Amino acid sequence: MFDYILRRLGYTLITLFAVATILFVIFRMLPGDPTLQVISPAMDEAVQTRMKEAFGLNDPMWKQYLIYLKNLVTLEWGRSFVSAQRVTDILAYRFWNTLLLMAAGMCLTLVLGIGMGIVMAWRRNGPLDVCGTVVGLVFQATPPFITGLLLLIVLSYRLGIFPTGGMYPAGQRPDGLIDLLLMPGFWQRIVLPTITVGAYYIATPMLIMRDSMLEVLGSDFIELAKAKGLAPSTVMFRHAARNALLGVVTLAGIMVGFAVGGQVVVESLFSWPGMGQLMVESAASHDYPVAQGTFLMLAILVIGLNFLTDVAYSYLDPRIKISATGIG
Amino acid sequence: MTTKAVLEVRDLNVRYNTSAGPIHAVSEVSFDVFGDEVFGIAGESGCGKSTLIRALLRLLSPNGICESAVISFKGHDLRTMPDREFRKDILWREISLVPQSAMNSLNPVYRVGAQIVEAIRAHRRCTRATARERVAELFDVVGLQADLMDSYPHEFSGGMRQRAMIAMALALDPALIIMDEPTTGLDVLVQERILRRIRKIRDAIASSIILITHDIAVIAEMCDRIAVMYGGRFMEQARSLDLFESPHHPYTLGLKNAFPSIHAVGAELISIPGFPPGLIGPQTSCPFEPRCPFRIERCATETPQPVTITEQHEIRCFRSAEAESLRELAKSKATWHCSN
Repeated sequence: MFDYILRRLGYTLITLFAVATILFVIFRMLPGDPTLQVISPAMDEAVQTRMKEAFGLNDPMWKQYLIYLKNLVTLEWGRSFVSAQRVTDILAYRFWNTLLLMAAGMCLTLVLGIGMGIVMAWRRNGPLDVCGTVVGLVFQATPPFITGLLLLIVLSYRLGIFPTGGMYPAGQRPDGLIDLLLMPGFWQRIVLPTITVGAYYIATPMLIMRDSMLEVLGSDFIELAKAKGLAPSTVMFRHAARNALLGVVTLAGIMVGFAVGGQVVVESLFSWPGMGQLMVESAASHDYPVAQGTFLMLAILVIGLNFLTDVAYSYLDPRIKISATGIG
Repeated sequence: MTTKAVLEVRDLNVRYNTSAGPIHAVSEVSFDVFGDEVFGIAGESGCGKSTLIRALLRLLSPNGICESAVISFKGHDLRTMPDREFRKDILWREISLVPQSAMNSLNPVYRVGAQIVEAIRAHRRCTRATARERVAELFDVVGLQADLMDSYPHEFSGGMRQRAMIAMALALDPALIIMDEPTTGLDVLVQERILRRIRKIRDAIASSIILITHDIAVIAEMCDRIAVMYGGRFMEQARSLDLFESPHHPYTLGLKNAFPSIHAVGAELISIPGFPPGLIGPQTSCPFEPRCPFRIERCATETPQPVTITEQHEIRCFRSAEAESLRELAKSKATWHCSN
């Protein structure tokens, strides 16, 4: 098991390295010259050259790449063109905001989706099974900005139950994470974006769970579990769901990647001060260091969560140990 | 052998409702299982053996409907017992199962020992440690090392899994153990070892056993009494010795021909031509009629009722009186392969 985790960690690092390299290339291939933001063409020719030299822009590409990698590792991610704040400082704040919202959304999606999937399979063709499939697919077919807008119109503007956006009441900037979590205003504001994300993604874990439950329910060990005289709930959760979960866990890792996409939309819609919003803002204002940092941080988030998924998988499925020490 | 029946089944029918119409998987099955005996049920694949035991254990799929006049187990009426009570007091505690596919009957994500502990603790109040001691004991009985109980099923070979399944079936000293083709899917050497193990256990425990198999050789050496099943019906039911010394039903005669005998080395095996019946729709004939070389007109229009030959020897055949001469005819290959 330890071997397996170590190997996965190795893969994770390789993936991160690849992502960093791709980002390096992409940002240098983008149309438009990022240096224009800082080095104005109106300046004196000699000043322009000196500034370029100071930024290292006259060095050969490979040297720039090595410096880039070194800076990544030493967390010298540069300063924002707009606010002159260090990118790492901006991201440190934004990262937790995104993680909070994403965790809430994913929890809702996975817990509710998996739970629904289990019951739907257990009572196959029952009313919940039929309704669940339809409702889930309708939500999946609706883009999150539509769902989000509808929620805002009805629950915020019409009924006034929830605030329209932001992460905390204006003028009450929280003092750290704990302080934020203790704010009632925070909890009021996280509800709508969570529902929006959750509704959009719920169909996938729900239907996958339902399908793998149905498959597992047909296996011999389920029949034996019933013959053992175990309570139906024990058979359903301990024996069937535990095995069916394996498929969903793999999927959860992939879903997190997609969820980042939805995150950008939802954060913009609900003015959530996270990395998704930051990505949109920095791209719009040609704030290249911030955009690059945001991309990188989101990639780290997705890859990190995938690593956690792999670890969870090895815990859930004892057979995985074999492939770690044997063929794999 | 005690004379009191542990399990008494009368007139048990199972049908599956399908879009193609009802399938009568088991029809008019009646039998007793006495204390401390091994009752064998033999038949081809699809003859209704597994459906019969699923019906007894209430494991039929939702479209399977079981109707019977009597299912009495140690004086309890199993037909009317509520599910909850049946699950807690009868399943595994009194009737356990060695399933057909030991390979896949253990849950892959739990340790083998834990799965047996689970069975014990579902029915008996005891600590995990006590239950584990019991598992160690059981592993010893079936010839597995006690320290293997913390292995996962994928770390076991087929034979080891089958032993573990037998250990699990013995866990609560049930009055009846149903073994559904316990050696199917294992290689011949392992089969032999498992059978030897079962034979040893049979002598050591007080449980009755229902042994289901398509292998007539297994049945011959293991069982006290045998039922031969075909098309969902018990065609012939007798003590083992009687069945092998004086088989009466044409299907039993055919089955005997199709298996090699150790006493007649070199004798040609004769197969029974044709296929098992489909069982869809009402049954108005003898199910073996289309394949039977001795059929008469009546066989196609009427279902034969059980006829008692001697004590504990029953057959469903209109020509039961002529058994002697049919037995001679059945020995010739021409009887089976020309008349059809």
